[in-house]
Amino acid sequence: MKRIFLRWEMALFAMLVAEFAIFGVLNPRFLNLSNLLYSTSDFAQIGIVALPLTIVIIAGGIDVSFASTIGLCAIVFGIANFFGWPLPVCIVAALGAGALAGLFNASMIHLSRIQPLVVTLGSLYLFSGAATVLSGVVGAGGYEGIGNFPDSFTGFAYLEVASLPAPFVVLLVEAVILFVILHYSRFGRAVFLCGLSEHAARYSGLPIRTVQTITYVMTGIFAGVAGLVLSAYFGSARVDLGTATLLPAITAAVLGGASIYGGQGSIIGTLLATLVIGYLQQGLQMSGVPSQISSALSGALLVVAVALRHGSAVLTSFVAARIMATNRKRAAS
Amino acid sequence: MLDFFARNRVATLFGVTVLAFILIGIAAPGYLSLSTASVIMSNSLVLMTVGLGTMLVILTRNIDVSSGSVLGLSAVVLGLLLNNDVGLVPAIVICLICGALAGLFNGLLVTLFNVPSIIATLGTLGLFRGIMLILTGGKWIEELPQSLKFLAENGSIGISVLTVAVAIALAGVWAITRHTRFGRYFYAVGDNREAARHLGIRVHLVQISAFVAAGILAALAGIIFAAQIGFIPNQAGNGVELKAIAANVLGGVSLLGGSGSVPGVFVGVIFMTSIDSALVFLKIPAFWNDFIAGAVLLLVLLLDGRVRIAVEKAIRAKRYAVHAPAQTSNATPAPHTMRKTPATPQENAQ
Repeated sequence: MKRIFLRWEMALFAMLVAEFAIFGVLNPRFLNLSNLLYSTSDFAQIGIVALPLTIVIIAGGIDVSFASTIGLCAIVFGIANFFGWPLPVCIVAALGAGALAGLFNASMIHLSRIQPLVVTLGSLYLFSGAATVLSGVVGAGGYEGIGNFPDSFTGFAYLEVASLPAPFVVLLVEAVILFVILHYSRFGRAVFLCGLSEHAARYSGLPIRTVQTITYVMTGIFAGVAGLVLSAYFGSARVDLGTATLLPAITAAVLGGASIYGGQGSIIGTLLATLVIGYLQQGLQMSGVPSQISSALSGALLVVAVALRHGSAVLTSFVAARIMATNRKRAAS
Repeated sequence: MLDFFARNRVATLFGVTVLAFILIGIAAPGYLSLSTASVIMSNSLVLMTVGLGTMLVILTRNIDVSSGSVLGLSAVVLGLLLNNDVGLVPAIVICLICGALAGLFNGLLVTLFNVPSIIATLGTLGLFRGIMLILTGGKWIEELPQSLKFLAENGSIGISVLTVAVAIALAGVWAITRHTRFGRYFYAVGDNREAARHLGIRVHLVQISAFVAAGILAALAGIIFAAQIGFIPNQAGNGVELKAIAANVLGGVSLLGGSGSVPGVFVGVIFMTSIDSALVFLKIPAFWNDFIAGAVLLLVLLLDGRVRIAVEKAIRAKRYAVHAPAQTSNATPAPHTMRKTPATPQENAQ
């Protein structure tokens, strides 16, 4: 029992419940079930990219370029659609572009052996630049969107699957798939070992490069999914579709328990953290708090949560050291 | 040759920059002029100041991604004070103090609460931006007084008061990191924190002062921003933190801490800024900006990484060549040569 209750996920769950309670008191309409379900469409994309990002972080890397990959994939989809390709081909093209972007990141990291943060920072510019250039190709101008999608595509974002909104279903299905991959597969164990100690993983014969490459490619593909969901939701593909997801997605991964040093993290934690962040913004908006304050509060939430987590760890080790010191003294006397 | 490029990142980048300037000058006559230099200089002031602060933090093996929001927050504080009839000098002082406090907050989070710096500053990136928007109520600050805008005006020789301020900041940081004991502690802490602690360096103090310095410099960048543009939009400073990190990396500051220099950051920033102005002269549409900046950054990184790997390999080969069976002569080397050979790779490595 203790093992279940003392987990970080339980703290996140408690946070979520507290949020529901507070916002429910402030504004009873917040707890309306259909409102709770449909407001997920506003932040499902954060979770869609935060989940594979968690796996990248666990494997000891980090990827900040997904924010541009979202826009790039959306633009690729828009261009494919512009040239009148059938819908499935367009979707495959967009996901393929995402996978290529991930592969590019991974190969750059392995070729240059420079920290992933720096490399993906470079590709953050490169991909958003590529997307802007591509959208210039079809004459959509610098920052305008590409529209005119078939109704079957734009209808997807408003579709209901088993009375759940489609973007949320995408997120849930993705979470189940990644949960199984990360926590119940050989590949998942390899990811954890890579992050804990790259040397140990290498000496035990794990193909580190392959494992890390797969994590980046996954992030790219799911960034493509997020790009498709967003362009269906907004009805147009724009270069800057993903810029707003950059910080919330990293926040979700870290708040969900992923250690930035690798080797720690969970899918359920990230999923819960996504809901905590998303409902915090929704709830603040519904209680009439201006959006600028809600951005400050979500920043503060990240700082406080992580400070508590690390602070408590520091405190525990401090107390443990004190106890050991007194024991030693007692043994000596 | 390889060794030279690997060890003199600044010299390499400087050479590349000069070469790029000459090539662009050939392609677009009129590019190489004093007026272009003046434009590039005033365009690079904000990035230069932020990049300088970021360098100090990176030296101690931390990272600061909140500087864009610190810039915005302190610019707003300055604007609000000025529009409420506070004098220019007190307003600037309060603005700098505000930046220092923001940096102090970052530093305390990282040292006292032991939060990884990227997470802590990611959080404060949102937090400071939010505080800034609360202060302004989401409105832009306009009609800044003329006295502030005057600071950014280029005088008869194309140098503004702000340029002088940035030059002083550059020289100051250079002198501190190069010639004072405390400045060298930044490198020691970044290179090996445990060793620095055992040497008796107050690691936390060094880290906090790096963050505070970064905050003050970001606030100075905020003043420059406000003076140059003449109003303060909500998104002031958005994304400048990433550009500053990129310029640092270009200039040879290692994200692993403990290595980097002010001239490197200077050249890196000038390089990043001159890309923008070069595109204008080459009549390339503006939407190529990000693509080219990203491609250049990645290319430099890739080259640098490959060169570094090659140099490491060469050094290791030299070091282990001692143990390899002698190929030139059958006789085992005499003891004195054995003692002598291991010294050569180190001599080369100097």
